[in-house]
Amino acid sequence: MTAPSLTLTDKARPRRASRPLDERLLFGACVLVPVVALVLFFLLPLATIVWRSFTEEAGGIGVANYLALFRTPGILRATGNSLLVGTATTAVCLVLGFAVAYAAQRTRVSGKRFVAAALSLPLLAPSLVLGLGLIFLLGRNGLVSNLLGIRLNIYGFPGLLIANVLYALPQAVLIIQAALRQSDARYYDAAEVMGATRLQQFLGITLPNVRFGLLSAGFVVFTVTITDFGNAVTIGGDFSVLATEIYNQVTGQMKFGIGAAVGILLLLPTGIAVYIERVAAQRQFGTASESALPPVPDRLPMRDIPLFLVTMTLALSITAVVATVVFASVVRLWPYRLDFTTKHYSITLSGGYDPLWTSLGVSAATAGIGTVLLFALVLGLRRMPPGLAKAVYLLAVLPVGVPGLVLGLSYIFAFNLAGTPLHMLYGTALLLALCNFYHYHTQGFLTMVTGMRAVPAALEEAAGCLGGGVLRVLGDVVVPVMIPTLLSVFFFLFMRSMVTLSAIIFLVSPSTNLAAVTVMRLDEAGFVSQAAAFSTCIMAAVAAAALAMRGALALAGRRKAA
Amino acid sequence: MDLQIKNLLKTFDGFVALDRITLNVEEREFVCLLGPSGCGKTTLLRIIAGLMPYDAGELLMGGRDLGAIPARDRGFGIVFQSYSLFPNMTVAQNIGYGLKIRKAPRDRIAARVGELLDLIKLPKVADRYPWQLSGGQQQRVALARALAVDPSLILLDEPLSALDARVRADLRTEIRDVQRRLGIPTIMVTHDQEEALTLADKVVCMNHGLIEQVGTPQDLYLRPRTRFVADFMGSSNLLPTAWVRETMPHLMPGRPDGAESAFEACVRPERIAVTPAPDAEGRVIDLTFLGNIRRLRLSWRGRELLAETNRDPGVEPGAAVDVSVAADACAWVRA
Repeated sequence: MTAPSLTLTDKARPRRASRPLDERLLFGACVLVPVVALVLFFLLPLATIVWRSFTEEAGGIGVANYLALFRTPGILRATGNSLLVGTATTAVCLVLGFAVAYAAQRTRVSGKRFVAAALSLPLLAPSLVLGLGLIFLLGRNGLVSNLLGIRLNIYGFPGLLIANVLYALPQAVLIIQAALRQSDARYYDAAEVMGATRLQQFLGITLPNVRFGLLSAGFVVFTVTITDFGNAVTIGGDFSVLATEIYNQVTGQMKFGIGAAVGILLLLPTGIAVYIERVAAQRQFGTASESALPPVPDRLPMRDIPLFLVTMTLALSITAVVATVVFASVVRLWPYRLDFTTKHYSITLSGGYDPLWTSLGVSAATAGIGTVLLFALVLGLRRMPPGLAKAVYLLAVLPVGVPGLVLGLSYIFAFNLAGTPLHMLYGTALLLALCNFYHYHTQGFLTMVTGMRAVPAALEEAAGCLGGGVLRVLGDVVVPVMIPTLLSVFFFLFMRSMVTLSAIIFLVSPSTNLAAVTVMRLDEAGFVSQAAAFSTCIMAAVAAAALAMRGALALAGRRKAA
Repeated sequence: MDLQIKNLLKTFDGFVALDRITLNVEEREFVCLLGPSGCGKTTLLRIIAGLMPYDAGELLMGGRDLGAIPARDRGFGIVFQSYSLFPNMTVAQNIGYGLKIRKAPRDRIAARVGELLDLIKLPKVADRYPWQLSGGQQQRVALARALAVDPSLILLDEPLSALDARVRADLRTEIRDVQRRLGIPTIMVTHDQEEALTLADKVVCMNHGLIEQVGTPQDLYLRPRTRFVADFMGSSNLLPTAWVRETMPHLMPGRPDGAESAFEACVRPERIAVTPAPDAEGRVIDLTFLGNIRRLRLSWRGRELLAETNRDPGVEPGAAVDVSVAADACAWVRA
């Protein structure tokens, strides 16, 4: 080896001051623990369900399970029904969602805050609350039937469609509104000067620029609809859909192979939705300009009056449905005897309110474990080589592509295997908490990443140069800036965990029953008023959590300002 | 066609943004609205475009009142600082949009787009999307889009501000060439005095919603009429009357009549001649090398003066120098 070649290698690899060992260990662990957990509780179950879908009953490997789908009449009918109700819900949600988002973002229609508040109601409750409320209003023994003296039949396709629309609409609105926000007033100025009428501007600029948002919202609504369990059970009636059919096949008839195959097929629409979102994000990256001025909302009676009527009707409907559930829970016999009573709050099903406490515990665990793991992951991600960081990032956003139904199924396959070390988790509340966490992993992760961007790297470096150790820098610089984000992620995970049904329905056991499942059982058993009472308790808990989050955020903000 | 603006008034909640502006833009003329941010220049441009209403006054294009005509029927072309190409359309679709709105036949649109792409020297980008172009290219396309409909007036809202220095200089020349060739009257808003000097036939220097001075670039630089213009257009030495009378009496004959404090003498740094002399009263405070010129701060007869020279003056800070100003080197400005 000669001297010149040595200098060359030296030049080619600029030396970095190596970090102290304890620092490297800390940040290594920061990444390692969450990634191992992701592999164990997300990738492994997913791999198992893929494996099981190709494992034939006789024991061989093949596509027999997929072929069996075509020979199972229940599945075929359910698939057709799911596609039908999914497509219809998507179409309705896109039209209404666009109207609401457009009214909120681009017009000065009054009552925007009320509409926004009403639209956030479905997020506070398990999906089946909407089905329940609709039955109270429009069912055979509902308010309307009773008042008009006719017997409406809401069960089946029409009821499911309405319930799904009310449930999925808020999510569609959020996505479309975000897409509408990405614009520049100058586009419209330029078009105006070039001679375009309002209609031409709308068709030529507004609509094409939200097409990715619409597409993305469409797939999200479609997926949410075909994988939602709660509404299908409550209001679906004889109209069997894929989500309920899968549940019957797996828990009723123990046909695990078929369940796995359907689960894999259900990955397709979300996969496409996620892909479209990524493409859209890249496109928007190209067009977003820092000097963009948001379009100024204006008034136009011809457009605003119909928009006002539509958005108000929607907001009032959602409010009415949710309010009916609460109201029905405190009257003697809805809708015939409306005198006040609290008797429905004494739950006659075995266990009483135990599931509610279990739910609170599981949700707290979900939120606690989730916040710590996500914070560690994002913290460690910052100090990783870019290539590796990208791979971990991809893994961390992957869970959004897996519907809860599929995740829940996959947990059965992965953890209900006697003789494996992971089997001891099966049937525990901890596994429920983990399942809920990985169900909502992506949203929490992305919030955390955004929050971490607000911590300038220079700030950390400055604190480090002043002689602060890693933990000092973390405690003095990173955590204070991140507190609002940590709070948001914690409460987001808590609230979702309180209301979700689709993943954990496969995992609950009599000893670890959850609140949302209890509502379903009560409804199935015909105790509708008790179901309403139990739902009201869940909504109260979630609303309290939402209020607590607001309070905590305000407190954190005040301390920051002081 | 020419544009006439008469006594144009615009207020925002009682704040006067444009205070009875009167201005003519002749046929084939390139007019720059120059001023600091908040002076009302962009407001004026937006009112001319029809994107903003005005309170009082008149706006006439070739004698026709524009007041009642909405922006979309005025037939102007506009280019913004932020390019503002429609992100969902290709370059060709962007340029052809105005013609499409006017229901021009497809082959005519295609021909016109090709012609304009040649004009802006980007013949090969027709099928690309805006995000695939550089800032300079996007701005050229925006210019082509504005030109496509044969506008009777072109409005440019700080079109070069977002670009790098090099690209800005190139595009500046190009805009000037295109405007000369097509002879379309053009109004450009800018806060860059160099841009205004190099591009405009007529510069309109604005401040606080008022026009301070209108004139050719030479007028504004060599014969500023107000202190604001003298200060905004390049650097200058602004000298009070009493001091000038005492130290440079040969400049006094050009002074208009008026109170002692009503006028100040404006002497450009390059018109102050500096010669080293061992026992002179001037002192060099410091010296800055700027490449093509050297800038000297001097102390002379109780004042600090700024001088510029393109030769090496052969002095060091602290050196004694003689200072002289020619009789025609001064403009008297309203203080």
